[in-house]
Amino acid sequence: MRSLALSWLELAGWFGLALVWLSQGRSLVLWWQLAAIWAGFAVLGLLTRHLGGAHSLLLPAALLVGLGWIFLYRLRLEWAAHQFSGFVVGLAAYCVGLMGNWAASRTKYVFGVLAAALLIGTLLFGVWVGGAKAWLALGPYRFQPVEFARVLLILFVVRYLVENKPLLRLGGGWAAAKYWGPLALFMGCILLLLAVQRDLGPALLLFTVYCILSGLVVPARKLLAAYSGLAFAGIGVGLLLFPHLRIRMTAWLHPWEHAEGAGYQILQGLFALNSGKVLGRGIGAGMGELISEVHTDFLFALVGEELGFAGVLSLLSLYLIMAFIGLRLADHTSDPIEKYTAVGIVLLWSVQVFMVVGGIIRLVPLTGMTLPFVSYGSSSLVAQMWMLGILASVGRVRAR
Amino acid sequence: MSSTSRKSFTAILSGFFLILAGLIYWQVIADLSDHPLNPRRYDVFRQPRGAILDRWGTPLACTVRQNGDYVRVYACPSLSHVTGYFHQRYGMTGLERTYNSSLAQGQEVHTTIDLALQQKLEALMEGRVGAAIAMNPKTGEVLALLSSPYVDPNKLDEFWSDYAADPRSPFVNRATRGQYPPGSAVKPFVLAAALADRITFPEERWQDSGRVVLSGRTISNFQSQGWGSLTSLEALANSSNVVFAQLAAKLGPRLLDTLRQCGLGEALPFPLGSAAGKLPPAEQSAYGWGQIGIGQGSLLVTPLQMAAAVSAIANGGQLMRPYLVEEVRGGWRLPRLQRPVVYSQAVPQWTAAAVREGMVLAVQQGTAKGAALPGVIAAGKTGTAETLTGDDHAWFIGFAPAHDPRIAVAVVLEHGGLASETAAPLGGLVMQAALEACTQGGMQIER
Repeated sequence: MRSLALSWLELAGWFGLALVWLSQGRSLVLWWQLAAIWAGFAVLGLLTRHLGGAHSLLLPAALLVGLGWIFLYRLRLEWAAHQFSGFVVGLAAYCVGLMGNWAASRTKYVFGVLAAALLIGTLLFGVWVGGAKAWLALGPYRFQPVEFARVLLILFVVRYLVENKPLLRLGGGWAAAKYWGPLALFMGCILLLLAVQRDLGPALLLFTVYCILSGLVVPARKLLAAYSGLAFAGIGVGLLLFPHLRIRMTAWLHPWEHAEGAGYQILQGLFALNSGKVLGRGIGAGMGELISEVHTDFLFALVGEELGFAGVLSLLSLYLIMAFIGLRLADHTSDPIEKYTAVGIVLLWSVQVFMVVGGIIRLVPLTGMTLPFVSYGSSSLVAQMWMLGILASVGRVRAR
Repeated sequence: MSSTSRKSFTAILSGFFLILAGLIYWQVIADLSDHPLNPRRYDVFRQPRGAILDRWGTPLACTVRQNGDYVRVYACPSLSHVTGYFHQRYGMTGLERTYNSSLAQGQEVHTTIDLALQQKLEALMEGRVGAAIAMNPKTGEVLALLSSPYVDPNKLDEFWSDYAADPRSPFVNRATRGQYPPGSAVKPFVLAAALADRITFPEERWQDSGRVVLSGRTISNFQSQGWGSLTSLEALANSSNVVFAQLAAKLGPRLLDTLRQCGLGEALPFPLGSAAGKLPPAEQSAYGWGQIGIGQGSLLVTPLQMAAAVSAIANGGQLMRPYLVEEVRGGWRLPRLQRPVVYSQAVPQWTAAAVREGMVLAVQQGTAKGAALPGVIAAGKTGTAETLTGDDHAWFIGFAPAHDPRIAVAVVLEHGGLASETAAPLGGLVMQAALEACTQGGMQIER
């Protein structure tokens, strides 16, 4: 009963937002898509409950997708429509995530191989879009394999860490190195692949989540030191090798001096956020569309302008709630692989949000990633829905 | 929660608060709205904007839609120093600038200006260089404010280069920022200081031979005319330099106290901003004080200060804070109301009453005869201030009716020549026009 009441509340919230926006003098031609998103999540909720999964994550996720859709609609009709088709595929991806047995032992290391294959495939057959070779074309459809590859990688890393945990914990010396070696080599190759494709955001995200995960599974001070050293070395080498990385660092550290060049985008993002103040300027009233990549990397800045600090606080709170629910789910399972998979997914979301929002407010350098569930990008949305399904299946009581 | 979850959640929560701190800084604390690269800086030019209204609700500046663009239209070019202008290329000035944030949110600014009076003032000042202010002496409301020449804010695009090249500087608001020697127009305040300090009394008899020697140097009357035997009040009426140089020399630095209390030498708080003028240093020879007593030397005043100071004489000694905006209201915000504020007690009440009689005498039989009004007793004082360049500046300050003042004026004409022949008649016309405006409008004096 409680979830039903919450759903109605959510519906009211959405339509409230839509009304605010209608009052801006634009007609809501595709209003049914918003309703369909809500209905889709409601069906997913019923299905999840029927299968014994955890449906509590669906509510915040629905709010995020709905908010993202509203802002994309406000920017451009086609973007919202495209996002909606991504959501429809995402429904299927959720079901795959929910029904699959991701902790099954027979999968062994197949996820790792799959992820590597996806990335190598991108390198060989990919198309360049926006300065990164990150797309694969399947007939008329294009998708970003890295969005899926990183989920597979997390599944693989968790399995490897958990299965080899006793051996990895042996302490220093040759014995430990024998088991750390293959993992480090594999991850190194993957990161190199991403770097070659100039997709540095996902590379940094993966590295961070990988470090945290291995630190959680195998707690060791030495590990922390090693990872920090690796990170610094990696950033140093990256700065030497990639000029566009140096530009990003300049834009991060000195945007005001390069206001019309490298720092332009980040300053426009800050101006947008700043003009939102506490309550925002109202949906449609902002000038955020002037920011380049506003629908993907900088959608958060637009939300900050039009809904203000109150709006972005709510948005970030939704992610926080999702992280909390996800970690609670991780506690409820006895299977360590399931548990760390759940933790890994929560970390993927949280670190990505931190990197995206932190990049916009100049806390960290810009990495050019999407805001999970919200930003434009059907590959991203499908992958997020898949992760949501996997997380929901963690709480599932399986008949074994 | 297990230790794994707790550790993860702690890390996520600290990241959340870090982000929150950053957002609070950029969204709430920092203000980038005026950064030259912020396109929102020009937002105000693409929005409807609140109107600026006169005291009867007639729009002085309002926004109309023309071919999909918002265009600001000004009702009265001579008010360009009050409303200011609001222009995408040339920025904003005046009330447009001071009240920009309210106007941008659609609020209306209700001023104390009387448009009809302003238009009469505009006609009277046509072709002259100078400033004129009409004020309600009991409240400090500015009813009309003119600085001539002025620009037409509706035609900035057409004439900007002409305005910028004009040697008479039409962008300068002479009424608030023009700093002039007051000449004899300072004498009412010198007399007030002397009366308050008991250095003289209204009926004290003086012998005026037309010149007086102070610390070895001579100060003489206009055209060295000797008035013979005359009282202090008659000395004010006839603008006797001999008597006022001696009064000021006796007062010395104490004169500065009274001038300061009358608001001279200080930038009065005013929505258009204002200049401070200049008070002379406290170390002076007797001759130096004598010069100040007749309004020469290093004393500089603005028309706004003179209007406020003469209002203080008119209302019984209280310096009212001059104000221009009655109310800002509309939109979601609460209205902001400006009420009359006593800025300071400039001179004691009985002193003000005595000086007033001297100023009445000046209009009845003295130098300010040109300002006499039919059927109304007016009070006034002229001032002809010597300048280093060209003709003298001509001043008139006054109020009417003398015993229940409803209007106070200050007029200055740059290089206007002899004040009794130029500024005084003009001041009379301004007072008459203002009184008519009061009567026609049924203006509320007592608030």
